[in-house]
Amino acid sequence: MANHSVLGLFHEATSTADTIDRLRELGVPDEAITVMSGVPYTPEMLGRRPVYERLLPIALIGALGGFLAALFLTIVTPHLYPIEVGGQPLVPGPPTIIIVFEFTMLGALLATFGGLLAETAFPVVGRQVYDQRITEGHIGVLAVVDETLVARAESVLKETGAHHFKRVEADQPPRRRPFLRLAFVGLFALIPTVIGLLFAYSVLAIPLPNQMVHQPSIGYEQGPRLAAPAHAVPVQGPALIDGQPASEPVPATANSLQRGRVLFGINCVLCHGQDGSGEGRLGGYFSPSPTNLTSAEVQALSDQQIFLVIAQGWGIMPSLAENLSPVERWDVVNHVRSLRE
Amino acid sequence: MSAHETEHPVWRRPLLEDEGLEEQAERLRRRHLLLDPRFPWEMNDDVLRPMYRTRPTFWVIFVALGGLVLMGAVTWGAQIYWGLGITGLNRPINWGLYLVNTVYFIGIGHAGTFISAALRVLKVEWRRPISRAAETLTLFGLSTAALAIFIHLGRVWKAYWLLPYPNQRQLWPNWRSPLMWDFMAILTYMTGSVLFIYLGLLPDLAMARDHTRGWRHRLYAILSLGWRGTEKEWAYHKTSLDIFSYIIIPVMFSVHTIVSWDFAMSIQPGWNSTIFGPYFILGALFSGVAAVIIVMAIIRKAMRLQYFLRDEHFNGMAKFLLILSFAWAYFYFNDYIVPWYGGEPVMKVLFDLFHRGWAAPLWFLMLFSNLFLPGIALWSRRVRSSIPVLVVICIFVQIGMYLERYLIIPVMSGRNELPFDWGTYIPRLETLITLASFALVAFLYLLFSRVFPLIPVWEILEGQILQGLKRIGRALIPSRAEPH
Repeated sequence: MANHSVLGLFHEATSTADTIDRLRELGVPDEAITVMSGVPYTPEMLGRRPVYERLLPIALIGALGGFLAALFLTIVTPHLYPIEVGGQPLVPGPPTIIIVFEFTMLGALLATFGGLLAETAFPVVGRQVYDQRITEGHIGVLAVVDETLVARAESVLKETGAHHFKRVEADQPPRRRPFLRLAFVGLFALIPTVIGLLFAYSVLAIPLPNQMVHQPSIGYEQGPRLAAPAHAVPVQGPALIDGQPASEPVPATANSLQRGRVLFGINCVLCHGQDGSGEGRLGGYFSPSPTNLTSAEVQALSDQQIFLVIAQGWGIMPSLAENLSPVERWDVVNHVRSLRE
Repeated sequence: MSAHETEHPVWRRPLLEDEGLEEQAERLRRRHLLLDPRFPWEMNDDVLRPMYRTRPTFWVIFVALGGLVLMGAVTWGAQIYWGLGITGLNRPINWGLYLVNTVYFIGIGHAGTFISAALRVLKVEWRRPISRAAETLTLFGLSTAALAIFIHLGRVWKAYWLLPYPNQRQLWPNWRSPLMWDFMAILTYMTGSVLFIYLGLLPDLAMARDHTRGWRHRLYAILSLGWRGTEKEWAYHKTSLDIFSYIIIPVMFSVHTIVSWDFAMSIQPGWNSTIFGPYFILGALFSGVAAVIIVMAIIRKAMRLQYFLRDEHFNGMAKFLLILSFAWAYFYFNDYIVPWYGGEPVMKVLFDLFHRGWAAPLWFLMLFSNLFLPGIALWSRRVRSSIPVLVVICIFVQIGMYLERYLIIPVMSGRNELPFDWGTYIPRLETLITLASFALVAFLYLLFSRVFPLIPVWEILEGQILQGLKRIGRALIPSRAEPH
C-alpha cells in the first residue's frame, strides 16, 4: 500500500499538540507522526511520549573502549618494545593514569558523536519531506498515512489551523546523490585503512633513501682511510702551535688575580673546587673526577696550554669559550697559576 | 516576509494587559536579550547578512592579516631550511617564544569551552549569544598553540614519530614523558572542541541551508547532515551536548595542568612547583575570558551584532574577569611566597632579577596588568558598561599574561643551579613568527565569520521561549521556565 506524507505548519506548541491528538484519534499511530521545529520543543510540550534514547550507554561503551586502548598502549606495548631507562619500571603508575584518563575521555567523546550520527541516521542523503519555513519559527507536523486516511488527515491539519500545507505523493523517487554517499563512505573508510597500513609498515616498507646505511661509507679497517675534512676538530685535545699564542697574555697583576678569582668562582668551582683540588660539589658525580689543578702535571703546562683547555675543553670538561672572553680566560689562567702556593 | 508579520505568531505575544507596567517591561526588554524577542526570520537575517557583506575595510584587514600569515610561513620555511640555529634559542635557554606562544594560545583556548560547557551545565542564561564566538576562539587558539609546538621542533618532518604505531625503528613513544601526556591531552581537547562546536552548529547550519542559495546552500546542505529538527534529533542533540559539556570540563582542566607539568616535572628552579597545575588553569581562564571580551567587542562592532551582544553580556564577562584576576593573584602569591620564604640561593637570584634586575619592568608590568588594573577598575559598574574601557583592560590582561609566561619560560630557565650555565634569551626571528601567530588566529576567525553563523540562533530562540516576565506586586521580574 502506498503511503503519503502530509505536512502542515503551525505557529506554536498548543495548536501543534491539538493536531497531534486529533491525528491520533483518526487512527494515525504515534510513530507515523513527526514533529519538526527550529527550536527545541520538548515532547511534553507537544503531548508526545518522550524520546527513548541510548546515547549515555553508547558514551559509556566508548569510554570503556578508550580505557582498554590506553591500557594496551601503556602496559602491553612497553613489554613488546621495552625502553630501559635507568632501572625504572616498564609501566610507571602515575603517568599511566594520565594516559588512561585522556583516552577514556576521548573514547567517550567520539562514541557520543558517532552515536548521535548513527541513531539519527545522519548524514541523510537524498530528499526528505521538509519545509524551509521550519527554521523561521514554524512547527511542522508530518504524518505518514495510507491512501484511505490521506484526505481526512489533510482536513484535520486544515481544521486545527495549519497555515501552510504540503502533500507529497507516494512513490516519488528520492533524489540520488551517489557521489555524496561515496564521499562520506570514503572518508569513514579512510581512517581504518590508514591505521591498517600503519600496522603493515614493516611489510610494505618502502625503501626510501633516507637511511644512513645507504650513504657512501668505509667499513672498519677497510682502506684507504679518508682524509679528515678541513674543518675537523683534532680529537686528541687542544693542539698548541709553537710561537703562536692564542691571544696576548694578561700580566698577573693584583687586578687580574682578583678578576680571575671571581670568574673561577662562577665557572670552575662547582667541579674543580674552591682550592682547585678537583673536589667540587659536582666533582664526585664525574668519572674520571675533575683534574686537580694544583697537581704538578697541570702546573707543568704552559700558560697557553691552560688557556686552550679553557677555550676548547678537555675530555668531559666543556668549552667555556661562550662564558669567558679571551681576557677573562687569561685572568683565570693567572688564578690557576696562583693555586700552586 | 511581510506576509508572516500580519499573522499572530508566538514571538510577539503581548506580555501585559496592564498599561502601567509597560514602561517597566520596556526597560527590561532593552536590558535583556532573552526578554526582547524578534521574529525568527529577522534574527536569521541579522546573523546571515553580515556573512555576505564584505566592505573595503574587510579586504584591507584580510590582506593585512593574510600578508602577516604568509610572512610567518616564509619565516618558518627559512627556519626549517637553515635550522633552529638561526633563532635566539641556545643553551641554556632551549625553550623560547614558541613555547610561550603555545602556553599563551592554549590559555586563550580555555575560556571558550569553559563559557560554553560550564555555563551550560550551570544553566547561566547570558551565555547563549556568546557561546559560539567563544568556542571559535578555542578552536583557533588551540590550533595555533599546536602549530607553535611544530614550529618549535628542530626536525619537524619527523613529527610523526610521536604517534604510537609499529615501525622499523622498533621504537614506541615513552609514556613517562610529560611531552607525550601533552600530546595526548591536546589531541583529546582538540577533538572534543571541534566536535562540540560542530554539534552546536548543526541546527544553525540547517537554518543557513534553508535561507541561502548557490555554493553556500550546497555547503550547508552537506554540513548540516540533513538536519530537520525532529523531536528525536533535538533529544539526541541535547543529550550529546550535555555529555560533551560534562566531559570537556575535566579534559580542559587536564590540558592546562599537563602543560604546566611540562615545566613542573623538571628540577629547574622556579618551575619545580606543586601548585603549577591550578595556577596555570586560572591564568589560562583569565587570559581566555579577556580574549573573549575583546573578540565580542570586535564582532559586535564589525558585524553589527548590537542586538545580540548587550551590556548584560559584557557586564557578566567583566565580573567573571574580576573574580579570575583575584584568583590568579592568589595562586601567583602562593607560587611566590613559598620559594621566597625558603630562600634557596638560586631563587634569591631569580627574585632579584624580578625585583631589581633587567626583568623588573616586565615583572611590575605583569603585576599591574593582571592584578592592579583589572582588580581595581572592574569593581566599577561604569567601567564594566563601557566597552572601549573594557577592551583596553582586556588588552592589558593579554600583555600581562603573555609576560607571565615569558618570565616563566625563557627568563627562569636562564638561571639554574650552575652559574656558569646562565644565559639571557634574545628572541630573533621568533618575533616575526609570534606576530604571524597572532595574525593567524585573527585571520582564521575572520574566514570563519564569513562562512559560519557566529551567533547560535536556536539557542537564543530557545532562551526567549523559556524566559518571561512574572508580576510580583508592582514589579515585573524576569523569570525562566525550566523544562525537565
